[in-house]
Amino acid sequence: MRNNNFWSIYLSLFAAFICILFPWSGIALALRPDFMLLVILFWLLRAPNQCSVGTAWFMGLWVDLATGGIFGQYALAYTITTFFAVIYQRRLVLFSSTQQLVYVFSLLSLSQLILLILKAFAGHEFLGWTYFLPSVTGVLLWQIAVSFGLNTGRHSHGS
Amino acid sequence: MMRGIHQNFDQQQAPAFFARGPSPLARLTFFTAMSLALMATDSRLQYLADVRENLMSLLHPLQVIANAPSELYQNTNEYFSTHHYLLAENARLKQQALTQDIALQRLNILTLENTNLRDLLDAKQSLAETSILAEIIHVGRDSFTKKIIVNRGKNHHVITGAAAVDAKGVIGQVTRTYPSSSEITLITDKSLAIPVQIERNGLRAIAFGHGRDNTLDLPYLPANVDIKRGDKLVTSGIDGVYPAGLAVATVVEMKTTQDSPFAHIVCLPTGGIENDRQLLLVSIPEIKQETVTERPTSALPTSQKSKRSAAAPAAVTAPPASGAQAARNAQPAVAANPASTPAPPPSANAGSRPHAQQ
Repeated sequence: MRNNNFWSIYLSLFAAFICILFPWSGIALALRPDFMLLVILFWLLRAPNQCSVGTAWFMGLWVDLATGGIFGQYALAYTITTFFAVIYQRRLVLFSSTQQLVYVFSLLSLSQLILLILKAFAGHEFLGWTYFLPSVTGVLLWQIAVSFGLNTGRHSHGS
Repeated sequence: MMRGIHQNFDQQQAPAFFARGPSPLARLTFFTAMSLALMATDSRLQYLADVRENLMSLLHPLQVIANAPSELYQNTNEYFSTHHYLLAENARLKQQALTQDIALQRLNILTLENTNLRDLLDAKQSLAETSILAEIIHVGRDSFTKKIIVNRGKNHHVITGAAAVDAKGVIGQVTRTYPSSSEITLITDKSLAIPVQIERNGLRAIAFGHGRDNTLDLPYLPANVDIKRGDKLVTSGIDGVYPAGLAVATVVEMKTTQDSPFAHIVCLPTGGIENDRQLLLVSIPEIKQETVTERPTSALPTSQKSKRSAAAPAAVTAPPASGAQAARNAQPAVAANPASTPAPPPSANAGSRPHAQQ
């Protein structure tokens, strides 16, 4: 079972990375959810002993490389976000699906907030509230995935 | 690797539900420290440039794969484009080629004339550019920095500092080169500055990217500066990075306020910053600059001249002005326009000197 999960984890992370590399532009770029963080969060809730803070950090480095920014920005944002995800992972079993959505949304926004703070240190300005749109689209994507029957760990006590 | 070992250990020790390895807090501390160390190393020291270069060459095939669907879509679109459309496009292109041919003929004469005038003035030769056609393969994920990746790199003799232009004007500058791709910072990026000249009156200034809204700023110009809405900004060429006379931006807003001694000027880039796929990387070789200073009189070698005309499509956009501007560049800085502010050379172009002093 472990081997099975292991491959699906890394294949899905790889797929998320390819999604990031797509030549996005215009409105699609502004709405593009953080695929990588979504996949990491999914596996964090589903298989916490195989995908953890270290995985998030490592994948963050690759995203840093793809964005061409300073090394470590996404890595740091993903590390802190997944830390909070891991802490509340066991409580998630008791969450209702709405609560889970709020939880995922706050995690996505947290990662964007950390990136915003890091960028502010580098002298960039706040781009307006549209900056947080990817968190909204990310949650929508999450909900779509759940409604298509993706088990996000919430009902794991029942199975 | 480490994690895998921990997992095996944990799975023997505890039921899977409780197995977590080191506590989350310990992991958080460790990886946060690693990230901070990496950020400090990357932003302050240059050690990671090689690492980045190697990893990017690993990443390149992935970028090609990610780019494949949209490329396939475009190709099929082109394949199924109608006969009528192709005919119309063919006619339009023929027309365009004709007008450009005429402009090119004039350019040759102007180049010759310019060479002679420069000889008369005993001025240094303006440099011949080389140009490489490149295609955008990736637009940065980051909404703060305006950067794009193109499919030409060190293997295709792209050098850091080359100017990126499209048919309408300057787009940006090559800031990093990898083996088979390179990173271009767009002129709308906050960290990029570009020396410009107002086409109407030759006033020199430095345009900075605004970082958002895809606009450029002209800061530190006095409130009574002679700039109007609709003025065109072209590259001044005094930095030795951008060839002179390329269109950069148009002034769309010019405001003066009581509380600031400086004018608030907003410009819109002329080039298709967001909507072009192909662009031209134009570079002025550093070595030639050295050799030119050695010999006082020289005509452009014919091979360079032909390369120059190959790089012409971008320069053609401002045909009548470019000759006059080149001559103006040859003047000493003060004589060109006393009202202009002698702004310091931008950090992005550090190391380059005005090549047309004297």
